[in-house]
Amino acid sequence: MKVTVLQENLARGLSIVSRAVSPRSTLPVLANIMIASDEGRLRLSATNLELGITCWIAARIEEEGSTTVPSRTFSDLVNTLPADQVKLSLDTATQTLNIRGGTSTNDVKCIDAQEFPPLPVPDLKGAVQLNVADFKEMIQQVAFAASTDEARPVLMGVLVQVEKDKLTMAAADGFRLSVRKAVLGSSYGSFNAIIPARALNELARIAHDGEETIAMVVPKGRGQVVFRVKDVELVSQLIDGTFPDYHQIIPRNYKSRTLVSTASLLKACKQAEIFAREGSNVARLNIKSANGDMQPGEVEISATSEETGKNETIVEATVDGSGVLIAFNVKFLREVLEVVKSPNVALETGAANSPGVVRPVGDDNFLHVIMPMHLG
Amino acid sequence: MGIFYQLHLKLPLLALHYNYSMSRIILHLDLDAFFCSVEEIQNPSLRGKPFAVGGKPNERGVVASCSYAARHLGIRSAMPTSRAIRLCANLIIVEPRHKLYSEVSKQVMEKLSGLTPLLEQISIDEAFLDISNISEPPARFALNLQADIKNDLHLPSSIGIASNKLVAKIATEVGKKSVHRSASKTIGAPFGLTIVPASEEAQFLAPLPADMLWGVGPKTFARLNELGIHTIGDIANWPQDEMIHLFGENGRELWRHAHGIDERPIVTERETKSISSETTFNVDIADERTLEKTLRELSKQVGNQLRKNDLAGKTIKLKIRWTDFTTLSRQVTLPSPVDQDDEIIKVALKLLRTVRKPNQAVRLIGVGVSGLGAPLRQLSLWDGRSERSRTLQDVIEVMQMKYGIKEDERRD
Repeated sequence: MKVTVLQENLARGLSIVSRAVSPRSTLPVLANIMIASDEGRLRLSATNLELGITCWIAARIEEEGSTTVPSRTFSDLVNTLPADQVKLSLDTATQTLNIRGGTSTNDVKCIDAQEFPPLPVPDLKGAVQLNVADFKEMIQQVAFAASTDEARPVLMGVLVQVEKDKLTMAAADGFRLSVRKAVLGSSYGSFNAIIPARALNELARIAHDGEETIAMVVPKGRGQVVFRVKDVELVSQLIDGTFPDYHQIIPRNYKSRTLVSTASLLKACKQAEIFAREGSNVARLNIKSANGDMQPGEVEISATSEETGKNETIVEATVDGSGVLIAFNVKFLREVLEVVKSPNVALETGAANSPGVVRPVGDDNFLHVIMPMHLG
Repeated sequence: MGIFYQLHLKLPLLALHYNYSMSRIILHLDLDAFFCSVEEIQNPSLRGKPFAVGGKPNERGVVASCSYAARHLGIRSAMPTSRAIRLCANLIIVEPRHKLYSEVSKQVMEKLSGLTPLLEQISIDEAFLDISNISEPPARFALNLQADIKNDLHLPSSIGIASNKLVAKIATEVGKKSVHRSASKTIGAPFGLTIVPASEEAQFLAPLPADMLWGVGPKTFARLNELGIHTIGDIANWPQDEMIHLFGENGRELWRHAHGIDERPIVTERETKSISSETTFNVDIADERTLEKTLRELSKQVGNQLRKNDLAGKTIKLKIRWTDFTTLSRQVTLPSPVDQDDEIIKVALKLLRTVRKPNQAVRLIGVGVSGLGAPLRQLSLWDGRSERSRTLQDVIEVMQMKYGIKEDERRD
């Protein structure tokens, strides 16, 4: 193989695919990045067997071929080369890749491409077309609520449901639930898939151009999902299992509905978290309804730590219904407020031990349910 | 099965008192043969006789404390009772009464706290006092204190005084031993008093065996001996770099301690940091069901203590001692604090299954909960299972309190 590429293209490609490298695998080849000439371009791929990322970059191919290069060495090296041409030439017999850039020449020991697990070649016919900006926002609003606890694998994923022209994404870690809906540009058949939150987060990282579209396919019977955005393809294993029926945990009514400025409540939560994080992360919300015209409604957010001290912030609010004292894991509250896009947010609460619902005001496509913390 | 339970409350630093003046005066007080002294007050006929407070020999009991007459015969605390009886056939074994000892200990500590607020209790029968700001000369202060404790509470005590905690404690030990040696015909409490003047710390420590230093256990001591190091003075004479090279950070501390340097402050206030419960089996246990049953029992005790103190903990720790006395502990930190038996049991059993090979015999097993705080619980989205189990637990506790009903093995 003899290939010439631009240093910045190669560096960008490596930074994209290296996220799927599995450095501590028992299979040494998984710590490598596969490079191959592919119809006039250079293809870079990495996989940890659950997630695979492939990226094509512009190249001048003088001689076809492929190999796998140790990821760390390759990326570190390319990042230090001058922003100019980089020449890659492989000695097939010894599987040594010569990397030449500027006045530097390097020989890197590689592993034969035959040993690299084959990545599926997807058929993108009938793929769901998604707008990058919208889909990224959906991922951002949902994926953080997925669990990191390997004891319940299903909850480590995001439920993605397509029904005709409707797309719904939902994730829950047992304590909170995030649900986001969107309308698609055209109509598709119905399907459900539980996609690992990690894969979606990677996708959101890769897809940065808001004008682009993402193509999503779930090939039948393969237990995989494939995303294609511009020059990048991401393949992920789906999570096997049944996602819990989340509809029944979304409260149908509330005792009080509190309207606040999203930014003010977020700031108050961040302040409370400075104290709460030392302990059990709990912040108390004392929601007070208006008392006549003289005393408007407010939310008093407070947190106490044995070591650090205590904090209390008052946020003006319009409280519809009775007041309530309720405690939340302030990290959960902060994380949802960070992804609410509307200037005002509504917090719907029932009793102190019933779920609270966060809804952006004027946007019915997003909702988030948080279970409170039980106060003693 | 005569399982002997111990409940521990472990204590962290909370209030540190530094004295920034040139030199401190630290007094270490140790009640002589404390458990035995208390027993002698209760039963004067024991006075002067060889007796030991401890577990029964047939239940693998050990000597918790022994009278000076017994010590004279070579009996020591922590010795298996069976061996103690071999040394002295007519040794009287007194069953320990821990509640009584705690009460008497409390009286002593109250007396001490009346003298200075800079008091640090380090065990049931030992305490440090910072007496730097007391105008009375240290020797007279110490003698008065010993007399007061003897007259008012009928307890003998030994005292060591030095410029820091390390040397003061060693001074007490040295005092006890030397008094005993010189007056070997009288069999009684040593009433030691040893004062190490400031700047003479290293000189005082030099001739003492190296294992009298904190941090020198049998392993370190053996390694030191291999290097030809036998006394504390030998350690002090080694280059510090060499000690660090050989023993790591511990080496640095050893070297400093060997020079009589110890800057740890007196710690006055304490707060419960962990609650644990452990048991030593009468015979080594390899049966999985028995181990799991014991672990359930211990977890219940810990859960009970947590709820009684209105606490919950995030970190659950399993402690295991194998038959060869190697001890290990494994812990897991949960996302939210727990105070329910079931939750503690679940984690403890999981830890047991990961550390123990099939059929591996166990000598001691224990479970503890730390990272304590108010029992705030993150409620769960679906399944109110944990809530139901909580209600059930509350009901069981009320029933037990009301009717003394024993809870049967609850099935999962």
